[in-house]
Amino acid sequence: MVSTYIPKTLEEALIIRKETGARPLSGGTDLMVQYRRGIGVTPKFPWPIMIVSNLKELIGINETPDGSLCIGSATTSSEIAASPLVPWHVREASSRMGAISLRNLATIGGNIGNASPKGDLPATLILLDASVVLASVEGERTVLLDDFIYGAKKTLLQDDEIITKIIIPKPARPFTYRWYRKIGTRRANAITKLSLSAAITIDEKGVITDFRASSGAAGPKIARNKALEATLIGKNVEDIPSLLPSFLADYDKIISPHAMPEYRRTSTKRMLEYFLTEVSKRPSGEIIE
Amino acid sequence: MAKMPIETAVRRSDAIAKASGTQKYLSDMTFEGMLYSRMVRSSIPRGIIKNIEVPSLPEGYYFISHKDIPPEGKNELWMIAKDWKCFAENEVRYVGETIGLLVGPDRNVLANLLDDLIITYEEHEPAISIEEGLACKGGAFVNDTNIFCELEIKTGDEMDEVFNRADRVFEETYRTGFQEHVHLETNSVACVQEDDAFVIYASAQCPFYIRKSIAGLLNIPYDKIIVRQTTTGGAFGGKEHFPDVLAGPLLVAVNTIGKPIQMVFDRSEDMEFSVKRHPSRTIIKTALDDKGAILGMDIDVVYNVGGYLSCSFVVLQRGVFHATGCYGIPSTRIHGRGVATNTFPSDAFRGFGAPQTLFAIERHMDHLANFLGRDPLELRNEYLLKKGSLTNTNGHVYEEVKLPEMIKQITDASDYWRKAKEYGRGTGKGIGIALYNHGGAFTGNGEQMIIKGHARLHKHSDGTVDILVGSTEMGQGFQTALRKIAAQVLDLDLHMINYDNPDTSKVPDSGPTAASRSTMIVGKLVERAALLMKKRYDSEEDFHVEVEYEHPEGFPWDQNTFQGDAYLGYGWGAAVVEVEVDALTSEVETKGIWVSHDVGHPIDELLIRGQVNGGVIQSLGYASMEKMENKKGYFKQNSMSDYIIPTSMDFPKMESFLVDNPYEFGPFGAKGMGELVFNGADAAFCEAVSRAIDRRICEIPIPPETIVELEIHGN
Amino acid sequence: METKIDFTLNGQQVSVTTDPLRRLLDVIREDFGLTGTKEGCGEGECGACSVLKDGKIITTCMVPIGAVGGSDIVTIDGLKETEQGKTIIEAFADGGAVQCGFCIPGMVMAAEDLLRSNPHPSEDEIRKGISGNICRCTGYDLIVESIALASERGDGLW
Repeated sequence: MVSTYIPKTLEEALIIRKETGARPLSGGTDLMVQYRRGIGVTPKFPWPIMIVSNLKELIGINETPDGSLCIGSATTSSEIAASPLVPWHVREASSRMGAISLRNLATIGGNIGNASPKGDLPATLILLDASVVLASVEGERTVLLDDFIYGAKKTLLQDDEIITKIIIPKPARPFTYRWYRKIGTRRANAITKLSLSAAITIDEKGVITDFRASSGAAGPKIARNKALEATLIGKNVEDIPSLLPSFLADYDKIISPHAMPEYRRTSTKRMLEYFLTEVSKRPSGEIIE
Repeated sequence: MAKMPIETAVRRSDAIAKASGTQKYLSDMTFEGMLYSRMVRSSIPRGIIKNIEVPSLPEGYYFISHKDIPPEGKNELWMIAKDWKCFAENEVRYVGETIGLLVGPDRNVLANLLDDLIITYEEHEPAISIEEGLACKGGAFVNDTNIFCELEIKTGDEMDEVFNRADRVFEETYRTGFQEHVHLETNSVACVQEDDAFVIYASAQCPFYIRKSIAGLLNIPYDKIIVRQTTTGGAFGGKEHFPDVLAGPLLVAVNTIGKPIQMVFDRSEDMEFSVKRHPSRTIIKTALDDKGAILGMDIDVVYNVGGYLSCSFVVLQRGVFHATGCYGIPSTRIHGRGVATNTFPSDAFRGFGAPQTLFAIERHMDHLANFLGRDPLELRNEYLLKKGSLTNTNGHVYEEVKLPEMIKQITDASDYWRKAKEYGRGTGKGIGIALYNHGGAFTGNGEQMIIKGHARLHKHSDGTVDILVGSTEMGQGFQTALRKIAAQVLDLDLHMINYDNPDTSKVPDSGPTAASRSTMIVGKLVERAALLMKKRYDSEEDFHVEVEYEHPEGFPWDQNTFQGDAYLGYGWGAAVVEVEVDALTSEVETKGIWVSHDVGHPIDELLIRGQVNGGVIQSLGYASMEKMENKKGYFKQNSMSDYIIPTSMDFPKMESFLVDNPYEFGPFGAKGMGELVFNGADAAFCEAVSRAIDRRICEIPIPPETIVELEIHGN
Repeated sequence: METKIDFTLNGQQVSVTTDPLRRLLDVIREDFGLTGTKEGCGEGECGACSVLKDGKIITTCMVPIGAVGGSDIVTIDGLKETEQGKTIIEAFADGGAVQCGFCIPGMVMAAEDLLRSNPHPSEDEIRKGISGNICRCTGYDLIVESIALASERGDGLW
């Protein structure tokens, strides 16, 4: 029989992780469901488990001296959605994840570690260039989230590591306009079929200094292409309408046709087109809806 | 004390216990020495079982199969047909067919045993879709044609002659998919021995069906099987015949092992391995004269029956009888077939075959109107059935049809005419209307020839009265409706009337709780019994009265030719749905729902509202999001996250109207309504979406993916 | 591998020694016999197994009992004894919110969770508040109205 551990401190958890390879289970919203076996039957896991949901070192949201935001990996979606410290995109994605009861359990570390292409948080975190902090008894390392999740259900997590924190850097200048849209299977309590997160920064001369877009549930991993984003940077916002056709055509090319059948391609294109077109009109609100 | 009118809402008698969690459902019950069971099922859609390798069983664990049926018993479940076996012996026809049961005290051990049990098969090529079934892919396995059942009905002139006369012909094919019941309580049955009888506790609609279905397994008389219905957490047709599939194997197991055994499906089992609504394909071909008047309709209906017939012929009949909807068409020919495929047998689901053909005829009327350049509602109005109209079985409509009044109610409330004009086509906004009906109770003279329902009332010396019927409460509020009927007739307080979940050893057989017949037929029996009791109530202490169904005179029906009055009366409905299709994502937001129903005279306004609301939302789920696909014999959706049903956020509050149209043969003028309310909102939704995107929609469900395809590629 | 887990259940200090990976749902129903908490889906989709954990609504089918140590759990069997619980239950009965009833204990928990944070919710807020609880019978309108009725009748309770 596979063992289960309930460590009381992070230090203890790291030792257990090193010695037994036990995998962390926090909210249970993915693992307990994936390995369920029926009514009255204990879920059966192929590896040892350690329950980390109560490890205080992994819970909490705070700003670091350099202005970055640090979110503990066992912080729940509800806590993230409710925190004014958290960037808007991440709060939006958190508040639209599954049902309320799920959001009270599901953790940001679990959402990342599970690396499901349909996971809600990674798409917004990757938009914001977030990193994960991985701890082991040997020490810590920090990896860009976009690198950490390298495929569907595939991460760079080593057998002795635990995701402890998520670091979201502060953008050089605040975003001028923001967009987040989740297309779920239904209007609430839904799994994501597709999401698009986007942000743009425009300076006082009307020049685009930052532009980013990421598509969730769009393939084996979150689709973000910095080279393509860069083609808009340095351009004047007034030129967007004339740049749009070629930009959208290029964007379409980076989307895998296998992972993005007609519906997702079309909706992604329409949303991007809409966001950029609205932005070029320089509306007063920061949130484009 | 002034008597309240019957329709005044009362508090349901079961509400507090259910809301506070004290009401016991089957999974909340345990029995002394109870064992658990897991079903061993076919993992292939079609083939021959070559070998079953049962792992070595610990002490107290059992594997039960057809070999445990005693020599005097027969391995068959007697539903309507007797073709469905209790345990597969040799041939398997669908994924999930029962092969055996693993029984024992610890569910963790059972789960491990199930993992280790290996069945080897000789696999045959399955037929999955309607087309594959009709083409006998892999060879026919039912008759020589895979046609399980078939019927044809005609009115008016010969079809060939009608189409020869036609100036124009409009033809379309309509399709509907599988639908899963998703009663929140999964299928649950237990079997225990009590003295010399077997007691089946079941979450079920029809206790007497179970008794009939399984007694032959042991070849024992009916009275040696007692079925006690347990409080049933939703059914919608999914617990009409299907509980037999659990109860049969459990009976055999208890007979072999001698201990109480429980079986509760988990949700994934209930999704993957239970009956569904029949997928359908309906082709409607309409002959038109040079002025655009309808000369006739030639309709071809095919339902996907799955691996066994069960009650599918009856479902198909209802589908065929509803294929011309609320319209009187001069000449009709309707051909219906039920085709065998290697999918889980399709079975009863609220509407019982009517929703599929009503969807087809309503979409047809919309598209036909468009084809003729006419308003869809105006076209409908021209052909509405009226009192005295001939039906498609050459019977008659006996009641006043209040559809014009109902249409007015909902078109006024929704501002239909203004919106229809203003929104136009392809603007992203749309409004649609659909009309529908539902024949009450069993087809033709079935209530008389097949069912002959009974009801009994028992007065105790303390003045309380027990209602003894075999009909069940499954959430619809029947218990409360019956108590109101009895209380009203007897002029007693509601609390003086008792109704318990039926026990077949204590109540007479009132027929199944199905076909929207319970209030209309069994309610009437209770009303009649109460009238008889009332005469003796004051003078006698402890007595009972029992009545038997009496068929009203003058409703001819021939079950061999399907000619005459298919139903004694109909419920009628009209629905308007308004939508907005998101320009970016093609997600559909429903902006408004307006419905009106003729249910005769309501027995309780709040119960009716609950039924209307629930039925309409189920229908909108069916139209929009409830997609269940079968790939190579396997259902792709096997959980509540894959197969999604509406939440509280998916549809807005609806506005619901009733028209009063007392029905001569129902209690206090009531007629059936539980299924009616499912029958039309789907089509209204599709018409609204269709107008919003200016595309024809002939198939449900219609998720945003399909809308984008239609938008880009056209019809 | 059995572990001893101490927690508070409906106001009582309790303790179980069991496999820490067993679902909280099974422990509540079977070890404590509190069968008011129902299993509808086993995957956190339907909300029938909802309870309050440390004052927040959760679905117990997803929670291993090993994660519950030190927590305060309130189930329908506890809530029904409180003034708030009674108010909601009575309103559900009067408002016609109950049909088959299987989802209703979870729905009552969701209503309690909503009213605690928002004692006077609008119709939209109620719809959002119960959107994690699936009901197949009612179509939700009467449940929504019943929660509004509870809010009105229980003014000041939350």
